[in-house]
Amino acid sequence: MDKFDVIIVGAGLAGLSAAYVLAKEGIEVVIIERGDYPGAKNVTGGRLYVNPVRQYLPDIWDDAPLERHVTNEMVTMMSPDNSVSMRFRSDKFDQKPYHSYTVLRATFDRWLAAQAEKAGAMLVTKNRVDDVIKEQGKVIGVVTAGEELGADVVVACDGVLSFVAEKAGMIVPGQPRNFAVGLKEVIELPRTTLEDRFGLTGDEGVAQMFMGSLTQGRFGGGFLYTNKASVSLGMVVGIRDLIERKPGVEVHLLLDEFKERPEIVPLIKGGEPVEYSAHVIPEGGLAGLTPLFGDGILVAGDAAGFSLNMGITVRGMEFAIASGVMAARAIIEARAKNDFSASTLSCYQQFLENSFVMKDFRTFQHTPHVLDNSRFYGYYPQFAGKLLEDLYTVDSGPKAKISDTIRKNLSLGESLRMGKDLLGGLKI
Amino acid sequence: MAAILVFSERDEVAFQLLGEANKLGEQLGMEVAAAALGLSDADGFLSRGVSTVYTAKNEELKDFEASVYAQALEQVAKQADAAIILLGSTRRGKELAGRLAQKMKVGSLTDAGRLEVIDGRVVCSRNAFGGATVAAQTILEGIQVIAVSPSAGEAPAAAEPSGSVAEVALVLEPARIKKVATAPKSQDSANIEGAEVLVCVGKGLAGEAELKMVDELAQALGGLVACTKPLATDEKWLPEERIVGLSGKIGKPALAICLGISGQVQFTVGIRDAGTIVAVNTDQNAFIFQMADYGIVGDLHQVVPELTAALKG
Amino acid sequence: MNIYVCVKQTVDLQQVRIRKETREPVLDGVPLTIGNIDKNALEEGVRLRDKLGGKVIGVSAGSEELNDTIKEALAMGADEAIMIIAPELEGAESSTVAMALAKAIEKTGEIGIILLGEGSSDNYSGQVGPRIAEILDLPQITYVSSLEAEGNTVKAVRNLEDCFETVEAEMPVVVSVVSEINEPRIPAVTQILKAGRKPKQIYSPAELGVEIAGSQIKTISNLAPEQDRKRLLFQEGVGQDVKSLVAALESEGLLGR
Ligand SMILES: Cc1cc2nc3c(=O)[nH]c(=O)nc-3n(C[C@H](O)[C@H](O)[C@H](O)COP(=O)(O)OP(=O)(O)OC[C@H]3O[C@@H](n4cnc5c(N)ncnc54)[C@H](O)[C@@H]3O)c2cc1C
Ligand SMILES: Cc1cc2nc3c(=O)[nH]c(=O)nc-3n(C[C@H](O)[C@H](O)[C@H](O)COP(=O)(O)OP(=O)(O)OC[C@H]3O[C@@H](n4cnc5c(N)ncnc54)[C@H](O)[C@@H]3O)c2cc1C
Ligand SMILES: Nc1ncnc2c1ncn2[C@@H]1O[C@H](COP(=O)(O)O)[C@@H](O)[C@H]1O
Repeated sequence: MDKFDVIIVGAGLAGLSAAYVLAKEGIEVVIIERGDYPGAKNVTGGRLYVNPVRQYLPDIWDDAPLERHVTNEMVTMMSPDNSVSMRFRSDKFDQKPYHSYTVLRATFDRWLAAQAEKAGAMLVTKNRVDDVIKEQGKVIGVVTAGEELGADVVVACDGVLSFVAEKAGMIVPGQPRNFAVGLKEVIELPRTTLEDRFGLTGDEGVAQMFMGSLTQGRFGGGFLYTNKASVSLGMVVGIRDLIERKPGVEVHLLLDEFKERPEIVPLIKGGEPVEYSAHVIPEGGLAGLTPLFGDGILVAGDAAGFSLNMGITVRGMEFAIASGVMAARAIIEARAKNDFSASTLSCYQQFLENSFVMKDFRTFQHTPHVLDNSRFYGYYPQFAGKLLEDLYTVDSGPKAKISDTIRKNLSLGESLRMGKDLLGGLKI
Repeated sequence: MAAILVFSERDEVAFQLLGEANKLGEQLGMEVAAAALGLSDADGFLSRGVSTVYTAKNEELKDFEASVYAQALEQVAKQADAAIILLGSTRRGKELAGRLAQKMKVGSLTDAGRLEVIDGRVVCSRNAFGGATVAAQTILEGIQVIAVSPSAGEAPAAAEPSGSVAEVALVLEPARIKKVATAPKSQDSANIEGAEVLVCVGKGLAGEAELKMVDELAQALGGLVACTKPLATDEKWLPEERIVGLSGKIGKPALAICLGISGQVQFTVGIRDAGTIVAVNTDQNAFIFQMADYGIVGDLHQVVPELTAALKG
Repeated sequence: MNIYVCVKQTVDLQQVRIRKETREPVLDGVPLTIGNIDKNALEEGVRLRDKLGGKVIGVSAGSEELNDTIKEALAMGADEAIMIIAPELEGAESSTVAMALAKAIEKTGEIGIILLGEGSSDNYSGQVGPRIAEILDLPQITYVSSLEAEGNTVKAVRNLEDCFETVEAEMPVVVSVVSEINEPRIPAVTQILKAGRKPKQIYSPAELGVEIAGSQIKTISNLAPEQDRKRLLFQEGVGQDVKSLVAALESEGLLGR
């Protein structure tokens, strides 16, 4: 059996970040990826906040192929027949270093892989890891395409529903409650058309969130991000809601209906869909995290559950990058002691605890619960829409006073419940 | 006067080239010459409107070998003051084109379909990216060496000969390749290019015996059986003349039925001019459905007999 | 003895998309790979080396990205690689490419066999091989479907339109192969990993004395032909689907011809 210092399974952001740091240290690292090339099948909505992770990969951001920096934030609440939108643009977001970018994984991951390879990492694509080799409870390698490959440490970066972590005996297959499903299309538009349509100059970009009737009362929401010459349009829906709520509906039909909304049609008109993808999202929050380390193994990124569904947006890329880097740091420390046991590798958890990763997970530990409230996806958007519709409607009769309009739309009971939800919501 | 020089190691291909050569000659004001080397028949050229036929008697020309013929054609081209050399885009012809063009340090284009004259130069349309696109290309300077697809032109009808024969004395280095044996292929008379209906089969077919069922369907439709490349070259279930696609035949049927074919560009280029395309494939995401008018997602083993029965019934 | 195998880096054709509005092929971001039939040439080179000894040297002319693509050739069994790198070499016309390849091979040393594919995936013109043979003044055997070597003699079967022709020649010789000659291997992971450490030589065209002058061949346009297909999928079960199909063909007047 050929042996290497480290084997990383999965060339997503977690795996590539770990590989990059390890290779820079001169450590012999092999990344095994089942896709044709890194980024080929990796799904993300498309927004990356750079600030939290800048320090973890300090030297890559200047050259990284990012799409647009987000200067315009939009929220749209949708009811079946109306919608309310809010657009926020800030000069602050247009100042370097930009804090948030849109990304296309096919481009970004491939580039990051090239950087890792330049640093000395060995990348093997088109190969799936089929098993984990254990010896006396310790992970000592993996099996791919019938070949056994050994390593001091295996890092499971194989994404949500991690096969490697499962084979290593670290997780039991998850409950449906802990996952959402995400769908996304990339729709190509000529750059100038896109900039005119969204009112953008230069590399400025817009991030638009949608909530309300598009998920038909289900947990989730929609998103639209502008890239250089395309838009990423998609939605996220909770799997449990999808299964349990009647009448049942197929997610792709929800996306089709979303695309037919008059709010969306003009935005993507004339565009050419060039990519369609569907993906599961872990969203168990803190409680949904897997064990992070074991003898000879670390788990990072989505594989570990490091993805937060904030209802309308998902945050996972920063966690993937940061956890990948910290896994690498833990390995560097373990190498110094030449001990790859669980107790030495446990420093990984320590690093995570001291970083924004676990801090964010603790801050948002109640998120899944709060968001699991169908009122966010049905009632409130409808309320806002109805309210504004009434406000803006000029009937033949005299126009009602604003307070009357609000009162008409909001009963006392409703006000109380709304207050409670908002208190819950503050924890987001 | 500058000339268009025509040559192919196969006379019937050379005659087809004359059709194109005559058209180009008219547009460019060039005379059409032909090289009748080896066993070629000078009279055949003369009766098809060639003004000068160059012949040569030389032992080395007995068998076609590209490097020897490249030397010969270079010398003939000088004599003829050739500005354009049209060759047949057969396998031998493509090798010859490369050798000859390199000898003369000029550009070459192979597998040329339609030829056009723009600004006094020949513009060729040829498949690119495996047949996903059609490129219009031209050789900017010097003598133009162009190998034309055998199916691109039509041979002019034989008429009263008018031109003359010029014998050239050639100095030729002998071939360094020794021919040991030739095994002729069984000649298949099927005319895939002219068929009105093509029933194309691919690797979805599980065995040679199943060709019977495909044949029956073809008969019910009044069409010919054609195939993808692996079925002929790897499996050898059908003769290579039945291959449709980039390295096979380009059909133009009113109806093409594709059974168990994934639809990679190198194949689809051979049926993209079909009037109507039908595809049967078990994989609903198969590329072939992207360019089919009608598709049935299903097993050809069920669909074919049922379809044959329905057509007969 | 050196067995040179010329491999071309091209876009992965299966992933080239056609932009609907303009009918242009979209090549941006399409992953690069080694030409299909070049893999057959490589496989044949490796097979011959295992029998005859010597080295298999992959030779390629192209852009900077070759550094990555060439690993595929090394993983498939080439011992070394020679790359001629210049941006203009990507997609360059066959005379320029042939000159660069020939000069690099000449510089590297003794030639046993130079193997090529019958045609490259993207251009499929079959011109580079004969041009290399002419530049180096070597005999060439094209469209080979079976190849043997014994001492200094190669014996090959050529697959031509009308016949299979068996020929012999003495090395050094240029050989181009057709895809049915063999089944290229899928490299093992350990081979892929070893590929990164195999020797690689990089030349610029200038180092080889190759001038990249303006192109002799001009591409005026390169568009996908117009296709307007109905794309109707029948999915109601075989019986019903066949009925629907027959009805559709009937209405188009395609039956009973
Ligand atoms: C619809 C949607 C929208 C999202 N939006 C955002 C957003 O806007 N912002 C944000 O920050 N996050 C977002 N996320 C989350 C984010 O995309 C993920 O958290 C992130 O991609 C996780 O990266 P990763 O490297 O852990 O996993 P992945 O990117 O999933 O990578 C895992 C890799 O492992 C490979 N692999 C799996 N199994 C094997 C095996 N057995 N052998 C070999 N290789 C294997 C896979 O092919 C894959 O390349 C979104 C997710 C979805 C689905
Ligand atoms: C330079 C070059 C030139 C080439 N020239 C040609 C050419 O001229 N012509 C050509 O054809 N190819 C050519 N090829 C090869 C081409 O790339 C493809 O490999 C070939 O066309 C694939 O043939 P296929 O569709 O039969 O096989 P596959 O790609 O293996 O497809 C088989 C299909 O059958 C389906 N199937 C399986 N079982 C069933 C069933 N029971 N019922 C229904 N469907 C089923 C499968 O879903 C699959 O889609 C060329 C390649 C190169 C590199
Ligand atoms: N840029 C290149 N680098 C290396 N080999 C090449 C290159 N271009 C063509 N070839 C070889 O020449 C063969 C024929 O290519 P072509 O003449 O383009 O059809 C290919 O199958 C390759 O073996």
